[in-house]
Amino acid sequence: MRANSSIASLALVRDTFREAFARKIFWAFFACSTALILFFIFIMRVDVVEGALATASIFGRSGPSQSVERMVADVHSGIANFIYSIGMCLAVFASAGLISAIFEPGRIELLLSKPVTRYHILLGRYVGNVLVVACNLIYLIFSIWIIFGIKTEVWHAGFLFAGLAALFVFAVLLTVSLLVGVLWESAAVSIIATFGVMVISLIVSAKTTWERLLSSEWSRDIVRGMYYALPRIVDIGKINHSLITNQPVTDWAAVWTTAAFGVVMLGASLFFFARRDF
Amino acid sequence: MTDFAIETEGLEKIFRSRWSKREVRAVDGISLRVERGTTFGLLGPNGAGKTTFVKMLLSATHPTRGRATVFGEDSRHPRARVPIGYLPENHRFPTYLTGAGMLDFYAALSGMTRAQRKTRIPELMEKVGLDKWGSIRLGKYSKGMLQRVGLAQALMHSPQLLVLDEPSDGVDPIGRKQIRDILHELEARGVTIFLNSHLLVEVELFCRDVAIIHRGKVAVQGSVHDLTAGSGYQVEAENVPEQLDTELRSRARGVAVRNGSLHLTFATREDANAAVDLLRAAHCEIENLSRTSSTLEEVFVKTVDAAEVANAGKQ
Repeated sequence: MRANSSIASLALVRDTFREAFARKIFWAFFACSTALILFFIFIMRVDVVEGALATASIFGRSGPSQSVERMVADVHSGIANFIYSIGMCLAVFASAGLISAIFEPGRIELLLSKPVTRYHILLGRYVGNVLVVACNLIYLIFSIWIIFGIKTEVWHAGFLFAGLAALFVFAVLLTVSLLVGVLWESAAVSIIATFGVMVISLIVSAKTTWERLLSSEWSRDIVRGMYYALPRIVDIGKINHSLITNQPVTDWAAVWTTAAFGVVMLGASLFFFARRDF
Repeated sequence: MTDFAIETEGLEKIFRSRWSKREVRAVDGISLRVERGTTFGLLGPNGAGKTTFVKMLLSATHPTRGRATVFGEDSRHPRARVPIGYLPENHRFPTYLTGAGMLDFYAALSGMTRAQRKTRIPELMEKVGLDKWGSIRLGKYSKGMLQRVGLAQALMHSPQLLVLDEPSDGVDPIGRKQIRDILHELEARGVTIFLNSHLLVEVELFCRDVAIIHRGKVAVQGSVHDLTAGSGYQVEAENVPEQLDTELRSRARGVAVRNGSLHLTFATREDANAAVDLLRAAHCEIENLSRTSSTLEEVFVKTVDAAEVANAGKQ
């Protein structure tokens, strides 16, 4: 039975990859990542003389002179921010369709007729989706890390956390798409709901400002509640930045509360999927 | 070991609207037994509850009340689906997969190992007449080809119970014959076949037992032979003199003239024998003497009409 379920799990994950390939989602990510990698290989020129930065230029234009370490940390941080914001939005946008696709009438019945549990089917799709994004993130982050390492001889491991943080927040946001997909079977509604959570999370991230601006205690409580209940995207972004720039992280609470949000959403998705009629 | 492939007890499904209090009783307490190794046809007009019934067997829909077992195993448990091969009515196979890829995916979900899949796929593609199409994407397949590859999908793990929802929908007559031959072969091997089809001729040709459901309830259940067997006798004669014609018409339950022959239907064997004696005495040619029979379609229409009348009476 264990062997059978591992075959089924692998098949579900592989099917998600095939669909991502067919929908050109995987290739779109891959092309964007490759374009960025080629940019850093061919466009950026760095000359290091005895451990110090002599010149660094992009499109032939040199920037102000600074230490190699600092330059690498700055560029790493910029790339991490780009992946964390733009890359995340693209991943959420592209993945919602992969989730809702399995609920199509005529497809879901056939999946459910197989001797696998419903949890298996949903988790297989979810994990497959996370792995599609993970593969591209690993490709992008490692390539850039290696390029910078070779060009500058600075092997800064903190940058590798950039991919981990982005993947973690993506995996959490995907649980929103998953829940909405289970309830409404619509890619569009999934995208709207997930971006809605992202936007609200960004708004309430300025908790202290809101606490100053809001007059009533109950409205401040609502903001506080949302701040702790929703994924703390901004705070994790700050943690990510600290890790990349080799600064100490004093508070990991954002990671735990965000993970808790993901676990609750995933649990709710599994619960409703198990109860649904198709 | 149970003698029944499928057994349901008071199976009921009520669909309730999420917001309003409206409810639809799709399946209304169906108790059904399908013997192991039989070919069973589930019939009923549109909206009778056939598909909901099948979905409850597969646990795609949860019963409101009652229970269903498959070879004695509670249908809610994934184990119950191990011996089932299923072809849904309006299937939507992922078009990004090739024929072979699709078979591989669903067979893996059934727990088949890679080696088993590798040998079984070409075997089945050949069986359904698609051996040259294995590496072509399903998006390029015609409707009939999708039905055939769908049947192959249902057969991949050598199921003991085959549940087919409109299996020959969109398939040309040759393809239908091919599907029927495959099903006959499976029947001979002891596979239980549960057919949900609108094509009554096909069900009549293939199934041993049928159930007709109407408004979520079983209206009639029995063997095709018993249900289509008539209760009267038919005598067909030519050159019947006018006087005898009048007399026979007065004795017969039904009369028709087709191509100059007189077709008489009698309620009892005695009446039919008496008519034959009279015809022979008058030196008439007797073309045919047989028991009357109904087609499954006639049984179906009669059953549904009777159920409608009974339902109208209750209201």
